[in-house]
Amino acid sequence: MKDRRISYFRQKGDAYIMGTSLGLVLSLLMVAFILGVILVKGLGFFWPSDLLYLQLKDGKHYLGEVTDREESVRFSESGEPLHIQEVQLKIGNRDLYGLDFVWIDLSDVVEQTYPAHAITIERLEYGNFYGFPQKVRWGERQWEVHHPDFPQQLRRLHHQAVANRKQIARLEKQLNRLLEPLSHVERAISLLEISPEAQTPEGRRKMQQLEEQIRQLETAIREPYTRLTRQLESRYQENRQLVLSLITADKQVKEIPLEKIVRCYFPNQMGFFQKASLYASKLWEFVSADPRESNTEGGIFPAIFGTVLMVLIMSIAVVPFGVLAAIYLCEYARPGPVVRLIRLSINNLAGVPSIVFGIFGLSFFIYMIGGSIDQLFFSSKLPEPTFGTGGILWASLTLALLTLPVVVVATEEGILAVPQANKEAALALGATRWQMIRKIILPNAMPGILTGLILAISRGAGEVAPLMITGVVKLAPSLPLDTTFPFLHLDRKFMHLGFHIYDVGFQSPNVEAAKPMVYTTALLLILLVVVLNLIAIRMRNHLRKKYKMAAF
Amino acid sequence: MKPKRSLSTDISSFRLRTYRRDRRARWIITLAGYGIILSIVLIFVYLVKESLPLSFGASVQKWFGWGLPRDENVLLTGVDSYQEVVYVLTAGGKIKFFRMRDKALIQQDSLPLFPGEHLLSASKGSLQQEWFAVGTDSGRILTALIRFIPHYTDTGRVILPQTSLEETFFADPGQAAGHVERLVFRRNEEGQRFWLWETHTGELFLRHSDTEFEEVYRVSIPRPWGEHTLTALTMSYSGEHIAFGTSGGEVYWFRYADGEVVLQDRFQESEMPVSALSYLIGDNALVVGDTDGRVSVWFPVYGPSQIYKMQPIHRFRSHPAAVEQIYPSPRNRNFLTIDTRGNAHLNYSTTGRTQLEFQPASNRIQAAAIAPKANGIVVVDAQHRIGHFLLDNPHPEITLKTLLGKVWYEGYPRPAFVWQSTGGSDAFEPKFSLVPLIFGTFKGTLYAMVFSVPLALLAAIYVSQFAPYWLSRLVKPTVEIMAALPSVVIGFLGGLYFAPLFEQHLTAILIFLIMLPGVFLIFILGWRQVPESHRLRIPIGWELWFTIPVALLAISLSLTLAPYIEQGFFGGDLKQWIYMTLGMTYDTRNSIVVGFALGFAVIPIIFTVAEDALSNVPDSLTSASLALGASRWQTVRRVVLPAAAGGIFAAVMLGFGRAVGETMIVLMATGNTPIIDLSPFNGFRTMSACIAVEIPEAPVGGTLYRVLFLTALLLFTFTFIINTLSSVVGERLRKKYARF
Repeated sequence: MKDRRISYFRQKGDAYIMGTSLGLVLSLLMVAFILGVILVKGLGFFWPSDLLYLQLKDGKHYLGEVTDREESVRFSESGEPLHIQEVQLKIGNRDLYGLDFVWIDLSDVVEQTYPAHAITIERLEYGNFYGFPQKVRWGERQWEVHHPDFPQQLRRLHHQAVANRKQIARLEKQLNRLLEPLSHVERAISLLEISPEAQTPEGRRKMQQLEEQIRQLETAIREPYTRLTRQLESRYQENRQLVLSLITADKQVKEIPLEKIVRCYFPNQMGFFQKASLYASKLWEFVSADPRESNTEGGIFPAIFGTVLMVLIMSIAVVPFGVLAAIYLCEYARPGPVVRLIRLSINNLAGVPSIVFGIFGLSFFIYMIGGSIDQLFFSSKLPEPTFGTGGILWASLTLALLTLPVVVVATEEGILAVPQANKEAALALGATRWQMIRKIILPNAMPGILTGLILAISRGAGEVAPLMITGVVKLAPSLPLDTTFPFLHLDRKFMHLGFHIYDVGFQSPNVEAAKPMVYTTALLLILLVVVLNLIAIRMRNHLRKKYKMAAF
Repeated sequence: MKPKRSLSTDISSFRLRTYRRDRRARWIITLAGYGIILSIVLIFVYLVKESLPLSFGASVQKWFGWGLPRDENVLLTGVDSYQEVVYVLTAGGKIKFFRMRDKALIQQDSLPLFPGEHLLSASKGSLQQEWFAVGTDSGRILTALIRFIPHYTDTGRVILPQTSLEETFFADPGQAAGHVERLVFRRNEEGQRFWLWETHTGELFLRHSDTEFEEVYRVSIPRPWGEHTLTALTMSYSGEHIAFGTSGGEVYWFRYADGEVVLQDRFQESEMPVSALSYLIGDNALVVGDTDGRVSVWFPVYGPSQIYKMQPIHRFRSHPAAVEQIYPSPRNRNFLTIDTRGNAHLNYSTTGRTQLEFQPASNRIQAAAIAPKANGIVVVDAQHRIGHFLLDNPHPEITLKTLLGKVWYEGYPRPAFVWQSTGGSDAFEPKFSLVPLIFGTFKGTLYAMVFSVPLALLAAIYVSQFAPYWLSRLVKPTVEIMAALPSVVIGFLGGLYFAPLFEQHLTAILIFLIMLPGVFLIFILGWRQVPESHRLRIPIGWELWFTIPVALLAISLSLTLAPYIEQGFFGGDLKQWIYMTLGMTYDTRNSIVVGFALGFAVIPIIFTVAEDALSNVPDSLTSASLALGASRWQTVRRVVLPAAAGGIFAAVMLGFGRAVGETMIVLMATGNTPIIDLSPFNGFRTMSACIAVEIPEAPVGGTLYRVLFLTALLLFTFTFIINTLSSVVGERLRKKYARF
């Protein structure tokens, strides 16, 4: 062979080493970028930003929050590069303008100010309102904006309207409860009317009984009914009189009933700490309140609750199964085809696409097991399914199957970390194998089991695809856990953080307005998953250290 | 050993208890171990169980038959949707209803005929309702409707038939005694009625009554077939198309619109006379049967000459005798062909398959009908025997060819791979080609792998071989967290953040692909100029401080230069340029976005497994190489990489498996259009996303439901193979290095 001359530089391979490090750098940059995007967009949403008032060359006026700034290079007709600065303004007032956002070229702007008396109003409907308040009215009495009492009065009357609104909701609930037996009977009547039984004499007699029942019920509830409606009417009356009148940037007059206002504030007058406290209260609303406006506003409490509950049920199912299987692999099974087969199954359970678990859950849990349960125990309700449709139990079980390998692998690692000497000592003292497992292995492998549990929870919390077909809904009418018997409703559908992201981000009618909400939800989900994973990683590292100690 | 009393009894019972407990525990734990195998087997079994019925063919089972009183010939028959009551229409104008259960005549209605008047021809007018019209030998046409009204009593359901005469008119008012020899009647969904008939003099007429506007049109029809005679005629159920078959084997296709009948096309299947014609549901496909027993389906295809031409699409198994009757199914593209010797074939138009061949009678069949739910067939033979057949044919549209091959669907210019599971109307034909989904799955996976494999493997090599300890201790948890990021978040970012961002900075991204290696090379050349004594003084792990500026510089350069390059080379708008020059449209949610998002999800998997494999190469090997004077890079290149090749392969495989099955990312970051197109600028639909999107709307047990299970089974099998392969390779590797 010829003596090939390779330059010393190439032999040393600095360039290649640098090339490999470039792969790492790009991957890390991507992680940083993605986390940064979520962090900024998710956290920024609730910060009460100042209201910018713009007057354009063509005489248009805008008032809103700056949501984005962009600089770009475009070319004029003659090929000259032009540097263009644009701002995206959230102008709100959806009921007046129809669109929430406008892009404005800063070179068109004549005047930019941050007017002190500009107000941000968060409403129950139609999103935010930006404008200038004129006066607040309570029937005949009214306070102009320049009146020294105005801010005080606004706050007081707003509180009053909101209190009324809550009272109204309470009263309406009472009224519904009062009318509930009546509607039951009415439903029975309408069912009877369409059934073939109606024509028979038997059916007619039944019908008369039901009608008699209705009359009795009506007389029984007449007195509380009139009382409640009178109370309701007076509250309605008062709230109709509580009105804030405003003027928008382009001089349109708008009157907003105070009860429709969630929150109003003058961002341009607020200091940092005022803003921070407002931020905190908005954040609290986000995690604790129910969603509004088809999930694009308000809070995500039901989704958090649903996720947590589902993960809990999943853990109850997966941990015993996974731990027992891991014990079998480590303590009972002898190396051979069975163990190989089990390991293969674990590998495959870990590798099978999650949607396949979903479709399996649909056919096995829902149609097969759920359908049988309905036949056996809920046949009176059929054809309306009780367990034969998606629900939190089936979703949890499906995810339990999905997260099984995580628990098994982590538990195995924990069990292997238990020093052999301890086990042998226990056996030598006459303990049965089960006693040894219970007293030596399980306590010592606890960190491993917990690691598995935490990893399973983090996986389960972030998984969406199988849930979509086994019981998650965009808006659940009631939580799966409540105060009516049997308290835990395993058959109910539920909301889920991950599905909330998909649904609001991709299926809501106004995606642009819903985006910030999705970023914040995503941030919450990521925080949850990252924190869980960090705990798991710490525990596992601790375990590995222990394992090393035990090995040597 | 005899047990003594007291203490020892206690001990032995304690022992017994302990022993039992131990045995029970062993039993339960073993069960749990086997439970894992069981669960994967269960998943497989359920996927198979739900998708297997697709492969069951059609079957027909004679339920029962009985003889009718032999009086008059039967012209029509039909059955209600519960298959409880069957009716026959006789030449004497009687409609007899029989209850299937006890073969009892439960009702008999008569059409108001003149004394001595007989029916010559009859035709059903609709696939959904029992409309029919009859032509008599005194030149009248009577139109009637039969309703089957279910009544519910204590003992169960009772079907009460009800006949109502809707319309009567003289076929040719000028000629009182004209015979209506052949008649086709149609009533379409808008309530318009069409009668097409031939008199005994051979003249053709069309009457069209529009009930909404109370207008009646009467149209005479051209007869362009010269010396041949008319042997068959039919009309589509919308009343829009008319077809005539002649003794010369020719078929003439006319269109009826605005009171005019216009010839569209003529075609010829064979020299033999056409003996039967019928349109199928959807009013597009025309079944042609001839006296030799040949059966074929034709439909108009939009040709290159900008007009519709009839084309032969499918040929079916031939009958041994002349095809006499054709009955289209009211539910799907099934149709029943019957020959003069009483043989019946059940064919499915789209698949071109003759599903069933059976002989309901040994002699001529007078009339037959397919039940409204397409689950039964009623036949009346020449000896006045009624036969009722139960038809079990749940998925006629599925064959291996429709799932995986090109199929020529009605309205398409050529055979194609199409996935389109739901449509607007009853006549819509679901199209279940898995090819676009499989293609989409691999397209997405390919883009993801192209993006992720180089990055992940380079990073794994660096972290395992060159990085200082503090860096790898930092990187590993980071990557693990990256792996834990929920795919819904990545998908959401891909679809709502990166898709618009990429669209805006498309030029910059494309430039970056060139810029990065360029800047890197320049830096390397610069580095080479540094004297070696200085170079060697730099500690290990400094590479990052070299490459981070490279990456940042490349990014910022691409962003700054992009508008100038776009203006200079691509006329100011790259997307426009792509469309004009390459003929590709640019979708916002395209393969590049998915490749990025999916790749991001796959990188941690490949990285972790590959890094493990690389770190596990025994130190003795690397030490030996270094001791022989090889540089670090040479050691990695010649010793570590070959040794870890299996593990790296397993890593790539695992990443591949994950990318194939990933659902949420592709669901959110692509447009989910099931197209076959290699262009990186448009989207696709993957199998997993298709399941997620369509299974909630699929009726349980329906064809779509089962096809989606089949898709899931495919995914399962595929990932199973990949996972098994990678775990086998991993196992080998472990064994191989166990000896070092």
